[in-house]
Amino acid sequence: MTWTIVVGVKQVPDAKEVGIDPDTGRLDRANAPAVMNPPDRHALEAALSIKDVVDARVVAITMGPPMATPVLEEAVAMGCDDAVLITDRAFAGSDTWPTSLTLASAADTLGADVVVCGEETTDSSTGQVPPGIAAHNGWAQLTYVEDLEPRPDEDRLVAVRDVEGGYERVAAELPVVVAVAYGEFDPRPAGLHRKLYAENDFEPIEWTAADLGIEDEVGLDVSPTSVGGMETVDPVDRRGEVVDDVDELASRLAEVIA
Amino acid sequence: MSASDDANDTNDTNDTNGADDAGGIDLEAYADVWVFVEVHDGDVMAVSWELLEEGKKLTAKTGEDLVALVIGEDLDAVVREALERGADRVLVADDPVFEPYRADPYGAQFRAMVEERKPSIVLIGGTHTGRDFAGRVAVPTHAGLTADVTEIDVDDDGLLQARRPAFGGDILATILCEEHRPQMATVRPGVFEPGEPDLDGDFATVDEAITAVDVVVDESETISEVLERNVGDTTDITEADRIVAVGAGIEGDLEPAIDLAEALGAELVASRAAVDEGWVDGSRQVGQTGKTVRPELYVALGISGAIQHVEGMNKSGTVIAINTDPNAPIFEHADYGIVGDFADVCPRLAKSLRERDLAEVMP
Ligand SMILES: Cc1cc2nc3c(=O)[nH]c(=O)nc-3n(C[C@H](O)[C@H](O)[C@H](O)COP(=O)(O)OP(=O)(O)OC[C@H]3O[C@@H](n4cnc5c(N)ncnc54)[C@H](O)[C@@H]3O)c2cc1C
Repeated sequence: MTWTIVVGVKQVPDAKEVGIDPDTGRLDRANAPAVMNPPDRHALEAALSIKDVVDARVVAITMGPPMATPVLEEAVAMGCDDAVLITDRAFAGSDTWPTSLTLASAADTLGADVVVCGEETTDSSTGQVPPGIAAHNGWAQLTYVEDLEPRPDEDRLVAVRDVEGGYERVAAELPVVVAVAYGEFDPRPAGLHRKLYAENDFEPIEWTAADLGIEDEVGLDVSPTSVGGMETVDPVDRRGEVVDDVDELASRLAEVIA
Repeated sequence: MSASDDANDTNDTNDTNGADDAGGIDLEAYADVWVFVEVHDGDVMAVSWELLEEGKKLTAKTGEDLVALVIGEDLDAVVREALERGADRVLVADDPVFEPYRADPYGAQFRAMVEERKPSIVLIGGTHTGRDFAGRVAVPTHAGLTADVTEIDVDDDGLLQARRPAFGGDILATILCEEHRPQMATVRPGVFEPGEPDLDGDFATVDEAITAVDVVVDESETISEVLERNVGDTTDITEADRIVAVGAGIEGDLEPAIDLAEALGAELVASRAAVDEGWVDGSRQVGQTGKTVRPELYVALGISGAIQHVEGMNKSGTVIAINTDPNAPIFEHADYGIVGDFADVCPRLAKSLRERDLAEVMP
């Protein structure tokens, strides 16, 4: 059997470039360049590493505006067989509930055996979308995954998960949602040919909320959470004193622990 | 994670307060503050007691009950401790199916309890376990779930104000859940103080305070299986008074750091980069996806000071940085710093400290 592996990727503002607007105190993301959420690269690698050992088709999906297409091109350049852009005004204001519903129904529509996501996004950092996808579909889930052992003969996926103080190996029945621990699965470089193909010839499949039959279940109105306010956090005041020699540093230390 | 979960995003001016009515639930039917007590092999995760203490402050305002939820196997001691630590009531799901932890049985059991008993607020530790199953409760019940919260409060109407750092900690966003229940939050370990258990308390009414709930999960229906579990060191770094932290800059050379930690009587922790290299166990990771620590002294060795790391150590008393790069951002987040190689500075620092100690004990 050929496994269908779906990888969720997201375009985020480059965290290194995000500043705070001094007038409004709000984050100024408008000027930050958009990049692929860094943990998603590791998710792509994890998905492709399954394909290295199991007969599989890997499809990248993203929910976002049409301008998010470059992240799908990057995914295809890395080795994904296909990609889907889920785009619709109806999604505006979606929190994790409708977001994970959307990705869950896309994964279901694609006939996913495995869904792979990054641990969290650098812009929202909730980490709640992968478990949300699994919950919407009633599928198994494996989070904080450091290693994968596909077992196609058993229709199961075994994962090594990071747990408090150690690790565990867990087998999950297909279909299963995997969230890869950030830093695991070193992303492979994109090959030149794939890159040229992705940028010049490849077109992603496009789906709207109606295509997925969820147009009444997404967006602000079904989102249980809302943002009630935002405050800038004052940086902790530190002395920022750089000393020249170790003895002086030792005296400072000794004062603290006296 | 992927896709746009914008309610927890921070750039949108979100002046609409959620849905008018997404299912028409009766908010009045929901009451009480629940705290999930996370147990593995009989050991309670410290964050559970931190949350129970914080939960007391919420129920003091709302006048509701503080309810501890205990799931696992052979839980009598944990149930007793939850009462000693101030829970008004304890709900217990005691069954071998819950040990060791798996997302699907935990999620199904927790969901059944929520649907039957309708809590208003549910607090879960932001551990790997808590963050793993919280969504399996929040999604099917259409509850609002705020992840990785660092401040919680309730307003006069009992509406939960869950605050969480956004964008690496520069912004604190308040997340509300106005039209859905329960209001769920995973809360970051280490940000709240646990209370003291009341060991002499009168728990004569204990039996009435404990409810053994129906176990709704059956092993034959589970869709995952734990093949192996290997758990060793679970030292709780959030309790440490002194900390020596190592980063990628130590390049696997732990000895000078351990030497300094011993001279200081400090716990060793690490940045994510050092944990990813396998030099230090993940339970000792400090930062956004690790733990929040607040020792009186934090010594950072070969750590650049990325915002995701600083977020986890910003509550420290005095911060000392040792780094070869004079422009490393960590120096802006430190009280004292020295530009130098940690392998060179650590032994000299340890020696100097030991000599001082000696001088103090000498007549
Ligand atoms: C979603 C997400 C979540 C994250 N969560 C966390 C988290 O919880 N915790 C965390 O720490 N990070 C986290 N990170 C990673 C974070 O962004 C940084 O990559 C990480 O903190 C860098 O670790 P570091 O400072 O040890 O390494 P580096 O940034 O590589 O810094 C190494 C430092 O060592 C110095 N150095 C080199 N040699 C020496 C020497 N001989 N002596 C002294 N100094 C030396 C260098 O000058 C440099 O400043 C997260 C990232 C993402 C995207």
